[in-house]
Amino acid sequence: MNTPILELSHIRAGYGAIEVLHDLSLSVERGQVVVLLGPNGAGKSTTIKVVSGLLRPTSGQLLVAGRDVTGAQPDALARAGLCTIPEGRGIFPNLTVRENLVMATYTGFKIADIEERAYSRFPRLSERCHQLAGTMSGGEQQMLSLARALATDPAILLLDELSMGLAPKIVAELYEQVASIADEGVSVLVVEQFARTVLGVADWAVVLAHGTVQASGPAHEIGDEVLAGAYLGSAPK
Amino acid sequence: MESEVNDDRIQAFTQEIGELKLRGSRGDRERILLVIGVIALIAGVVLAVVGGFQASGTTDLGDQVAFLATGTFIGLALVVLGTALFIRYSVARFMRFWLVRLVHEHRSETDRVVAALREIESKLGR
Repeated sequence: MNTPILELSHIRAGYGAIEVLHDLSLSVERGQVVVLLGPNGAGKSTTIKVVSGLLRPTSGQLLVAGRDVTGAQPDALARAGLCTIPEGRGIFPNLTVRENLVMATYTGFKIADIEERAYSRFPRLSERCHQLAGTMSGGEQQMLSLARALATDPAILLLDELSMGLAPKIVAELYEQVASIADEGVSVLVVEQFARTVLGVADWAVVLAHGTVQASGPAHEIGDEVLAGAYLGSAPK
Repeated sequence: MESEVNDDRIQAFTQEIGELKLRGSRGDRERILLVIGVIALIAGVVLAVVGGFQASGTTDLGDQVAFLATGTFIGLALVVLGTALFIRYSVARFMRFWLVRLVHEHRSETDRVVAALREIESKLGR
């Protein structure tokens, strides 16, 4: 069996004296879509911060492509190909769509290539290339942040609450794109509070509550009972 | 799904991760250097003052030169070094905070402009 592209091993992390993640372990295989589900305060976004290098765990190991990179700088991880789309809007609202894409040229890609890749995946963005990003709809803004992330040719994509504040139809559209991104070989770790849409595209699901894994398994096997238990506080230990 | 994985990209990624230089937390290092700067600044001032007093308290030229050399000059060097470290690392922290603040303000401003434009559009019945 191949080494997981991403692995968290017995991670403990938090903010100051408050520990949020208690002995968390999970792994993402190559080309796999893993969804991290859980209610507010479960530690989902903290997990993303640990994986992206923004938060140093107090103990445990972060393994990327089999190497222990615990404590690596987030910019170094991002340059290597670990790309994060943060919660909310990961774009510059006061710049145009094209200018937002120009921001991705730091990775060494030419703007023409970035634009071609972005507009072929999201044709709507090409119609709005000179529009201020902040004046687009929430779904289009998320398309732009996805397009900008993909322009950097990531090996691992971390998505934090992609569906936040969006209509279910738009969320379904975005997750279709996530599925096609995974089909191209990008490993995806998705954090979501609302499970229904994302479970349809995920290979594996991990349910978090109070900073620990309450349940994990193939996404299609995660039933409403498990989710209700985690969200309502009666998850099986 | 595994067969569709882009092996070249994964190989390149694995190589880049393998070559990644792991350093300690930069935040901790900055804080340590900031504290060292403050300590050097205080120690330098104390050393310079003590050196100056000691030098003025003796009429022996050799002693005066020794006090000035070990006290005042080393003290002044520490003051310069400490000030440089303090400014470098406190300004870096401030500039980072300022940048975040600027981005946040731009976002809020854009949101306000967009909301105002939408209100105008709805009033114009478009």
